[in-house]
Amino acid sequence: MNYLFKISLRNLFRQKRRNILLGIAISFGTMVLIMASAFSHGISDVLFNQIVVYVAGHVSVNFSENGNRFMQVFHDGPRVLEMIKKEVPEMRSVQESIGVMARAIGNAKSDNVVLIGVDLQSGDEKDMEDAEKNFKMIVGSFNDLGDSTIENPVLLAEQKAKYLKVKKGDILRVRYKLLNGQDQASRLTVVGIFKPANVFMSAPVFLEVNRLKKVLGYGSNDIATLFLSLNDPKKDAVKIADRLQGLMQPSLAGIYAEIAGKDTSVSVTVLGYKSDTTSRNILKSKITLSDSSIKITRESVFMSDSLAAVLKVKVGEQIPLTYKTKYDTVNGTGYLKVSALFKGNALIPSNVLLVNDQDFYKVYYSNWPSDFRKETGAFVPAEKSGVYPILTQQWNLLQRVKTTDDLTKQMREIGLKRIRGTSISIQSMYESASSVLNLEVALHMITFVAVMILFFIILIGVVNTLRMTIRERTREIGTIRAIGMQKKDVKMTFILETFFLSFFSAVIGTVGAFAAMKIMSMFKIEANDNPIGMLLSNGHLHFAPTAATVVGYILLIILIAVVTAYFPARKASNLSSAQALRHYE
Amino acid sequence: MIRNIMVVITGFTLSAFAFPKIDSLLTYIDGTYSMVTDVKAKVELTQQKANQGTKKLEMTYYRRDTDKSFLIVMSAPESEKGNGYLRMADNFWMYRKNTRTFQHINRDESIGGSDAKGDDFEGRKLTEMYKPALDSVGNEKIYDDTLGLIPVYRFELAAKVNDVDYPKKIYWMRKDTMIILKEAAYSQSGALMQSAYYLKYTKIKGRQIAVKTLFVDEFEKGNKSVVEISGVSIDKLDDNIFTKAYLENLSK
Repeated sequence: MNYLFKISLRNLFRQKRRNILLGIAISFGTMVLIMASAFSHGISDVLFNQIVVYVAGHVSVNFSENGNRFMQVFHDGPRVLEMIKKEVPEMRSVQESIGVMARAIGNAKSDNVVLIGVDLQSGDEKDMEDAEKNFKMIVGSFNDLGDSTIENPVLLAEQKAKYLKVKKGDILRVRYKLLNGQDQASRLTVVGIFKPANVFMSAPVFLEVNRLKKVLGYGSNDIATLFLSLNDPKKDAVKIADRLQGLMQPSLAGIYAEIAGKDTSVSVTVLGYKSDTTSRNILKSKITLSDSSIKITRESVFMSDSLAAVLKVKVGEQIPLTYKTKYDTVNGTGYLKVSALFKGNALIPSNVLLVNDQDFYKVYYSNWPSDFRKETGAFVPAEKSGVYPILTQQWNLLQRVKTTDDLTKQMREIGLKRIRGTSISIQSMYESASSVLNLEVALHMITFVAVMILFFIILIGVVNTLRMTIRERTREIGTIRAIGMQKKDVKMTFILETFFLSFFSAVIGTVGAFAAMKIMSMFKIEANDNPIGMLLSNGHLHFAPTAATVVGYILLIILIAVVTAYFPARKASNLSSAQALRHYE
Repeated sequence: MIRNIMVVITGFTLSAFAFPKIDSLLTYIDGTYSMVTDVKAKVELTQQKANQGTKKLEMTYYRRDTDKSFLIVMSAPESEKGNGYLRMADNFWMYRKNTRTFQHINRDESIGGSDAKGDDFEGRKLTEMYKPALDSVGNEKIYDDTLGLIPVYRFELAAKVNDVDYPKKIYWMRKDTMIILKEAAYSQSGALMQSAYYLKYTKIKGRQIAVKTLFVDEFEKGNKSVVEISGVSIDKLDDNIFTKAYLENLSK
């Protein structure tokens, strides 16, 4: 076997010029293949870890109150955060995401901006590294964003700062809508101006997320949309979204409250009813109103006649209620206006106050109540009870969708149906950022096709050269066969020769690919607002080669070259010595 | 109307040399300004934005307070002509003439791309939205003032519900005719956001209607809008007007 190696290596050096040219072709092919693969991975890396993770999260938990997609708030925040941290070990970090449209006035210039919250506390080291990479500060410091001594510190991109004519230390006045829909104006202090790493960072004004929540009117237990960053988003995103969907199932909502009448106060269970027509019709069949002429409307609040008698409350009167809350030591309060009286029965006993969903959620969400089911005197309807389906849940968990189109349709329906309460939608990046991911697939496809075309052109050249080599050396084959070399050894000589040639060329090509990638990524590309800039990392081409793909491609090239050489080599080995020696060109 | 005037007079009488109660003023305003009948009017909205020129919108406005319905039919500019906005009870639709489609929209959606919103055309009562603002010792914030040379009451209101645009408002009301001359709206942070100047009134069946109002954007200087109302009719409107079919037929 050893001599076959020697003959193969010697043959390589015999035809130096041809083999060098052939080697260059294979090296070039390897180089292109590795670079294209690394570029494609680089794009994926940028899209998944620098864009999708900030724009939509690998997995996101989205909230919208009363069908209003701009009211992205959930009032039982600590519970959800705790549950996610416990149940999703595959997660790298979970961050709150808020984006609000605002009108900003700088120095005699105004513009529309988006106020975006930056979470400085929840991220891990990688998040901090990414943040520093994304915020290439021209003036000021990224860390000033968290400076509590400055009035609402903000960072903005150089283009935006230039347009608004503001510099570090200047005040930016903004007008925006509070969570409750009121117009609000605030003063923001520019603490830094940065060069945006991608097109998505040019327009927004960045504030620390807790500061932004405060100016928007979020309470201490309120959270906004949650973005989960995963270690392996491609593998885990859908699986985790499905898992969270199972964990976020709501239970029946209720308040065990104290309501005050004229002379006395009584503990009651306050339950909400769904105010859609079907639910109201069901409710109508389940309760008996004291005054049958009264209609059950979207605004009704029902109190039992016996309770009304005890409290000396009449229809049309407003009653105050207080209740224990989940998070505060101070009791929660609310007001409800009684619109009709009913006769208590087994389904809805007399110590129940039945409230339309809009008014119910107004009280329920104003200060999240403690679990009413744990109170001894509370009425907890059985799940099999006839009224259970029409009673309000803590929130409305939306079904998981499969595509972005389905998601858009679902959001539209929530708005149209004006679903009361908080709607929660759990999405993986495959639904929420499918357009970005489709871009990744398209770029992969284009790169793959271009590389394959180039690679096959090179391959045809290699095959042709090998055939020529064997043809030229037919007489030589005849000679070595005549002096006793076996058929399989002849075949192996040619295969080994091709193996060595392709191996050395592939290794050189790999080294060349890494050198070329290093050089290419050194050049800074000024993409500015060009969308293509989002494929760059800090203005540089981003290559992300992986050991597995590099080794894989080297093996693939060697395999293709060897397979290509096998057939001409077999043909050569099958020649009889006499026939081969007679060959003349 | 008489009841409303009585409320104010009672407020005066009870407080001889003091100020009238703000609540009584609000009740008076609600009574005098709100329509108990149907209304039809032509509305012209001229919007001027800093560095963006002027935009003019013309529309016909139909309102029926008994069932909280209103209809807006756009007549200018040309690009908006035939489009409409229909509010029936809790539903609010936008109609696009070109596509002949109705789309559900929110109350805070822009009308014809202007700063006017759907809820600006609703007839909500002041007493439902605001209450008197109190000073540190619990007195209502109402003072004597002059606007130009006109003696006025200046009083401050605080929102009692969340779904209002501004949590604080100050009104300047003429002492002699009891009409509002100016209104200033403040944000929660105390910033003056908008001033409204009621430039011209007309009286129809004892009710005051501001037919020319200037809205000044105090946040972004240079932005202002003038709303002019003409051809006001309070005759009963046909039920068919507040239907989708009516809007569709207009563009045939």
